[in-house]
Amino acid sequence: MKETADLRFNPADYFTFVLDQEIRNDGMPGGYCGFALELAEQPDLERLQERLDLLVKRFPIASARITRQGKHYAWTPTSRRIELERHKCQGEDREQEPRRILLDIFNRQNTSPLTVHWIAAGIGGTLLLNWNHPLLDARGAKILLDFLAADNPEKFKETPPLIEAKLAQWSSWKKFRLFLKAKRHNSIANSVDSCLPTLVEQGSQALRLKVRRFSEEESRRIAVLAQEHTGLAGRTLYYLGCFIRAMEQAGPPAAKAGYCIPYAFNLRRQNAPTPVFGNHVGCLFARATRKQAQDRKSLFRHLLTQYQQTIREELDLAYLPLMWLGQWLSPAKYAGLLRKQHSGGELSTLWFSDIGDLSWGKKGFLGVPVTGMSHLCWMTLPPGLALLAGQLDSRLTLSYSYLHPAIDEDWLDTVIKLMDAELLESVEA
Amino acid sequence: MKKKLKNFIFTELIYHEDPASFGEDANLLEAGLDSMGIMRLIMFAEKEFGVTLPDTEIEPDNVQSLNALEKWIRHAGQAQ
Repeated sequence: MKETADLRFNPADYFTFVLDQEIRNDGMPGGYCGFALELAEQPDLERLQERLDLLVKRFPIASARITRQGKHYAWTPTSRRIELERHKCQGEDREQEPRRILLDIFNRQNTSPLTVHWIAAGIGGTLLLNWNHPLLDARGAKILLDFLAADNPEKFKETPPLIEAKLAQWSSWKKFRLFLKAKRHNSIANSVDSCLPTLVEQGSQALRLKVRRFSEEESRRIAVLAQEHTGLAGRTLYYLGCFIRAMEQAGPPAAKAGYCIPYAFNLRRQNAPTPVFGNHVGCLFARATRKQAQDRKSLFRHLLTQYQQTIREELDLAYLPLMWLGQWLSPAKYAGLLRKQHSGGELSTLWFSDIGDLSWGKKGFLGVPVTGMSHLCWMTLPPGLALLAGQLDSRLTLSYSYLHPAIDEDWLDTVIKLMDAELLESVEA
Repeated sequence: MKKKLKNFIFTELIYHEDPASFGEDANLLEAGLDSMGIMRLIMFAEKEFGVTLPDTEIEPDNVQSLNALEKWIRHAGQAQ
């Protein structure tokens, strides 16, 4: 393939594009995600710009635009340069001012697939990667940051979509069998009406962010408790279970029968520098009734059993043929299937992603120590709330993106407090 | 057995520049085997070697290396 050729969406790119369209249809900027790194000092911004130029040269999709080609969509390269956008904190408040600028950037209407920002605050600042989800997934964003800071950028190469590679390994019969499994799985997920964090569904919305960063000691304790309750295989499930419990204790604004939290599983191998772009994810669900949420230990047991059953029955892979077939549906029709339950309500109690363990180690980002991180993402309304988890140098960070005024901030503060107590198994839990 | 396990791990779960050089006692958890990967590895082993690996035994000592994995799987097979 020529470097400047169009690149057709893979099934997971289209999946995220459909949700991007849903968000835009509600007057919001779209399915944008943010990865913010707090740096102790200002990195060499000229070097960073050079690396952005190399990025577009090596991966023209980085500054491509979305075009429609018959029934399908593709990235069409524009060769447009990605300019590092520089911002400076003006006010005295070194804590809040970078956050305000970050949210201003994130809330603006946007058509670029990828923008990169440096928000200077004192001697350090925040580096923000803001990207449109059909372009790449969160694991890809980490790889992109590694590319920008790498000593040896030549090792980063584009490779074909992992979903299509996996599908190509299977016979038509196996694809069909998995498709039926996924359909059955969806029907079960759709049968329990999901509690939602908001009743409000109208009017103009802004994205806001609350970040909870745990100390090393707290993070260690959370890891020990996660292993105790959900085993070596289930740290993500521990976060999900704790959130379900927190929401149940706070009282869900739209109280229905249970909770359904979709989460991604990534087909990329751990630590792999490729593929850089594209989405390579499938979808899993953590589901529990409100009754199951009431007993802490049995909730974790339930979530772990559900997860093991999912893997045992290959339901983690069953979503791939479903997404492959979804490519032939219009965005509106596909979105309806993805979002709506049998009752007509919204399937997802909230959006969730566990970005996993990250570290820029001794080298830092372009030689500068990384002192903190946060993540952001737009989501549909409802649910209007997304929880993004990640660990930086063994310190757990939970980033809550939410829509204002749809989500009641006092209610969210209560949930966050209860979530802390659940994670740490302290008295309130 | 170790060859099949190694092949699955480095084809599906963890990227390594030179899997051949990855020792049988080298630490898989430090190499990037995460929670989801562990579960997929267990399901692969159960299917491939016809054993049931008890949930209560899913602990670091049993999954931290290829040798530990093989020992665990053989032990589980003998107990059944």
